[in-house]
Amino acid sequence: MVNRLISITHGDITIDGKSIRSLGLTELRRGIGYVFQQIGLFPHMTVESNIGSVPRLLGWSKTRIHDRARELLELVGLDPDGDLKRYPGEFSGGQQQRIGVARAMAADPQIMLMDEPFGAIDPIARDRLQNDFLRLHRQVRKTVIFVTHDIDEALKMGDKIAIMRDGHLVQLATADELLASPADEFVARFVGEDRGLKRLRVRSCSDLELDPPAPGDLPLVSSDTSLHTALSSMLAEGLTQINVSGEDGQPVGSVHFDAIARLVAPTDGSGSAQVPPAAESGTR
Amino acid sequence: MTVPLHPIPAAGGPVIPNFGGASNCVVQNHQFCMSWFTHNFNTVFKPALIAHIELTLIAVGCGMVIAFAAAIFAYKQNWFETPFSLLSAFLYTIPSLALFELLVQVTGINRFTAEIGLVSYTLLILFRNTLTGLQGVPTAVIEAAQAMGYTPRQTLIRVEIPLATPAIMAGVRIATVTTISLATVAAYIGAGGLGTLIFDAIQSGFKTEFVAAGVLAIALAIIADILLVLVQRAITPWSRHRLQTF
Repeated sequence: MVNRLISITHGDITIDGKSIRSLGLTELRRGIGYVFQQIGLFPHMTVESNIGSVPRLLGWSKTRIHDRARELLELVGLDPDGDLKRYPGEFSGGQQQRIGVARAMAADPQIMLMDEPFGAIDPIARDRLQNDFLRLHRQVRKTVIFVTHDIDEALKMGDKIAIMRDGHLVQLATADELLASPADEFVARFVGEDRGLKRLRVRSCSDLELDPPAPGDLPLVSSDTSLHTALSSMLAEGLTQINVSGEDGQPVGSVHFDAIARLVAPTDGSGSAQVPPAAESGTR
Repeated sequence: MTVPLHPIPAAGGPVIPNFGGASNCVVQNHQFCMSWFTHNFNTVFKPALIAHIELTLIAVGCGMVIAFAAAIFAYKQNWFETPFSLLSAFLYTIPSLALFELLVQVTGINRFTAEIGLVSYTLLILFRNTLTGLQGVPTAVIEAAQAMGYTPRQTLIRVEIPLATPAIMAGVRIATVTTISLATVAAYIGAGGLGTLIFDAIQSGFKTEFVAAGVLAIALAIIADILLVLVQRAITPWSRHRLQTF
């Protein structure tokens, strides 16, 4: 609906304060990157031409399109030297979707719509694509509207998550807030009974006030390790405490099991992970 | 107007040339006399072959223009598909000789009449294949084009028609081979080409001319088909790689 593939029957959508109804259809769409589950690459065009689709419509020069295609292909983890002149049919589903992401970003749109982009891709490739896209997203900083049915994907990808039910917005919150205080029974069921554990995935060791480093030969994890992984290490080693290292690899503090338990405990209230709302993630 | 029972004599001279040097083979009317064939290739067979190729190119060319326009229109306006299908299928079912006879009464005995008949036989295949090709373009690809801001016209020209090309080319191949074969019958109403030689040979009973003209028509069809395959490969290099669909 944002790019008016489905027309608006009621209400309005604004981008930077401007109603999308006031923009021309092609102008609006050329300014929004679109990635969807079926990928929809043009099978009769090379990877380079596919990526160059929107730039060509915008009248870019050939050399500029070529350079941009090379740059993007590298960014999404494919080989600019070997893959540029190949056809989409020669690639696997995961690789095709990487090309799809590159194509959507070709004209550097401010907004990207991703409609279940990794839904048809096998779990291992999906996980890799998600991680790569998160890394990519940190580099390019765009507003991404990401639609998924998979709550774990939403929790992983989204800075802000909107949960939709029967066409209504049920809750709009960060992953941590969502897990800590679901708005209603539906959201609670949706995020899962193990939401306490899931919360540990979206929080890292650095979100806790660290205890002083514990003496002894404790396992060491970096401060951006998720609490989920830290806890898992503790359980594996039969410990209740684990040391956290700084950037130089030296212990800067430690995490105790009790601290993790306090974080997840309901009396702790909602979390307050401050992530800039550069990306939103919707779940419908 | 009455229609002659046998075709107009071909422009290419007497059927069995009676100049002194007729070989034994020709006199005894063997199945195929190579020396007579090679001697008369340039004067008899080459002009007929060229006329046959012209006849075919014009028929398939005109058929393609009409069928292509009709298929695009039917693709955009669904209601048009059924009537045009019915019309072209109806034309296709008319026995060729009967159709030629009918047309002669309107436009006379000439090449133009023959072309009308030949064109009408190409329409069904070319129309159906073009339309099927367009309708077979994956919806995901069209959605992607729309979402990227392609106008409907850009989508048609840059996406839908190129993707329909393999189906269109398959239709062109069938139409071409069929027309080459059918054009021999059109010689009956003065179309010229290899058919004229075949009709002459049937009249005179000269076997060499009959076999040579027949084999040339077959060879022409095979070569045309091979050339079209090569053209198709050249213009659709992507079609050898099957796109995985989800």
